[in-house]
Amino acid sequence: MANVRQKNAKTAVVLFSVVAGMIGLAFASVPLYRIFCQTTGLAGTPSIRSQAPEKATDIDFKVRFDANVNTELAWKFKPLQKEITLKLGEERLAFYEATNLSDKTITGSAVFNVTPLKIGQYFVKIDCFCFTEQALRPGETVQMPVSFYVDPAIYEDKNTRDVKTITLSYTFYPVKDEQKVSAVRPSATPGNKG
Amino acid sequence: MANAAGAHHDEHHDHYPSFFSRWFCSTNHKDIGTVYMFVAMFAAIIGGGMSWYIRLELAEPGIQFIQDKQFYNVLLTAHGFLMIFFVVMPGTIGGFGNWFVPMMIGAPDMAFPRMNNISLWLLVVALLMLLISAFVEGGVGTGWTVYPPLSNSIYHPSPAVDFGILSLHLAGASSILGAINFIVTIFNMRAPGMTLHKMPLFVWSILVTAFLLVLALPVLAGGLTMLLTDRNFGTHFFDPAGGGDPILWQHLFWFFGHPEVYIIILPAFGIISQIVSTFSKKPVFGYLGMAYAMAAIGVVGFVVWAHHMYAVGLDVDTRAYFTAATMVIAVPTGVKIFSWLATMWGGSIEFKTPMLYAFGFIFLFVVGGVTGVTLANSSADLVFHDTYFVVAHFHYVMAIAAIFAMFAGWYYWIGKMSGKQYSEIWGKIQFWIFFIGVNVLFFPQHFAGLAGMPRRIPDYPDAFAGWNYVSSIGALITAVGTLLFFVILIRTYASGAKAEQNPWGVGATTLEWQVPSPAPFHTFEDQPDMSGKAPAE
Repeated sequence: MANVRQKNAKTAVVLFSVVAGMIGLAFASVPLYRIFCQTTGLAGTPSIRSQAPEKATDIDFKVRFDANVNTELAWKFKPLQKEITLKLGEERLAFYEATNLSDKTITGSAVFNVTPLKIGQYFVKIDCFCFTEQALRPGETVQMPVSFYVDPAIYEDKNTRDVKTITLSYTFYPVKDEQKVSAVRPSATPGNKG
Repeated sequence: MANAAGAHHDEHHDHYPSFFSRWFCSTNHKDIGTVYMFVAMFAAIIGGGMSWYIRLELAEPGIQFIQDKQFYNVLLTAHGFLMIFFVVMPGTIGGFGNWFVPMMIGAPDMAFPRMNNISLWLLVVALLMLLISAFVEGGVGTGWTVYPPLSNSIYHPSPAVDFGILSLHLAGASSILGAINFIVTIFNMRAPGMTLHKMPLFVWSILVTAFLLVLALPVLAGGLTMLLTDRNFGTHFFDPAGGGDPILWQHLFWFFGHPEVYIIILPAFGIISQIVSTFSKKPVFGYLGMAYAMAAIGVVGFVVWAHHMYAVGLDVDTRAYFTAATMVIAVPTGVKIFSWLATMWGGSIEFKTPMLYAFGFIFLFVVGGVTGVTLANSSADLVFHDTYFVVAHFHYVMAIAAIFAMFAGWYYWIGKMSGKQYSEIWGKIQFWIFFIGVNVLFFPQHFAGLAGMPRRIPDYPDAFAGWNYVSSIGALITAVGTLLFFVILIRTYASGAKAEQNPWGVGATTLEWQVPSPAPFHTFEDQPDMSGKAPAE
């Protein structure tokens, strides 16, 4: 009987570690999912690279711009151009404009995606205002640039060959953790917090 | 026979503890199984009552009874939670599993009897927690899938959802402990000579189910914890404002949720295998194939989860994979269906109530399986998604099918569990009322769904009125069948005929039929020697 008991305890320990491992895996899935989306462009996650290709093609392509603001953020936010036509592989610069409508300095950060969702990996950002948090003083208006290109490989992928227009969309959210913001960017919140 | 002698020996120390110690502090697998079954029946009355109220509202277009739409959401959320976590799982795994797994493998009890008691009472607390959540400011109206952002604090600011999450955490902990107990019992406590390949198929089904629980439930627990911290402690796992993604919840939830439907149906497979074999008076056709088909269903069940999320914008290759993988499941389930039919083929079939329910189960499962293959197609599913077609599909294939297996198991084993036999004629009448009821209830929902009726909405256009009315009449018939079941249950306990040790004759070969009815408090303290005997399916 003692023998069975020992064996039971051993099996139970193994099974409890499997349970612990699966809980760990559930939490590990958070960074893994992010990495997976970034590398595969899943769910319209654009790629980020440091440089456009040397030579652009002569194929025309359209990019449209969309802007949204979360209701908790008292900002006006709009693209300065509705759409542009560019060549595949050509690096372009586009601007968005944000105005702080409140009488407080507010920090916001933008999340972004592109549609159709399947072309995420072919829309490449070189630099973007959305990579950092943006602090606007009361009534301040700023123009914010994004530079990008569309990877010509989009024409070599049979799943994305039909796409002629990409929509780039941003949504600005207030940065909730004020303390963290002032720690990271002390100049962004000059004294009139809250 | 060694085991008959063992059983005789057992009767000598059948002194039961006092009422409180026996039922509340129990460490006896049979008593714990009995309490599990009564918890399941209690939850079934509440969960069933909610669904009948929903059908009452849906009987006609317009709003008749449920003015508060959030209350409608709360009803169908609670219906889902109750039926899955507090009816089917405690019924098949906690109830029949606890009662018959140790007996079928010739073990004296579960490996960890006190942990078994914790599992039971954690579940009871979880049930109370869920019921309390309905009375907290607005209740949980998220659907059983608890998708954010609907389940975030923006749309469900009250603590009701936190109660719901806590309830699922406790129910999950209960199930994980129970599953570990089953695996250890089945691996280490089998009678000498009872090899894995000789175990009855019901034991196999519980073994595979326990592995699914151990692998899937922690993922739900992790996801729920993230949701809880998102709601209360300012994390952003599922909140895009902080760089999170609500779709991640769907991936985590369905990584648990799809194995969960097999957790519900696999023990049902096990019960049906025992019954089909018993009443055909033949061993199950293709025993090894049946056992490994269940294992295969369990394995493949972990790699098909995104077929619940075709509408979130997966790319075409991903959808092609999940479509193909989902259809692969039709192969092992087909092996099971055809093996049951082959078991019956040429058998000396006796149409007792459990066998009728086994037939009913196979019919319902095939209907639901066919619509399942339809829904597996990602392109077709974009049209069917969130319609009543899906509601009809999963009620056929897992919900009502599992309830049929539970009825089948109850009629099959009640003599062994209570020592009293049910009334055969009333059992058959109850079967036919229930069988007609559920088909009238759920079959028309296919038509409403194909016509485009969305699920989870308390009102619908007049165009859907006809089939909804039929469906509600079916719900009424089902309610009569359910009521009759409880009458039969009370009559069996109160005035049932004394059950024989083996009421089913030569077909019933498993070990539980070799002890007296009702099964003595302690069985197989001297383990039977099974070496040299045929597989006990």
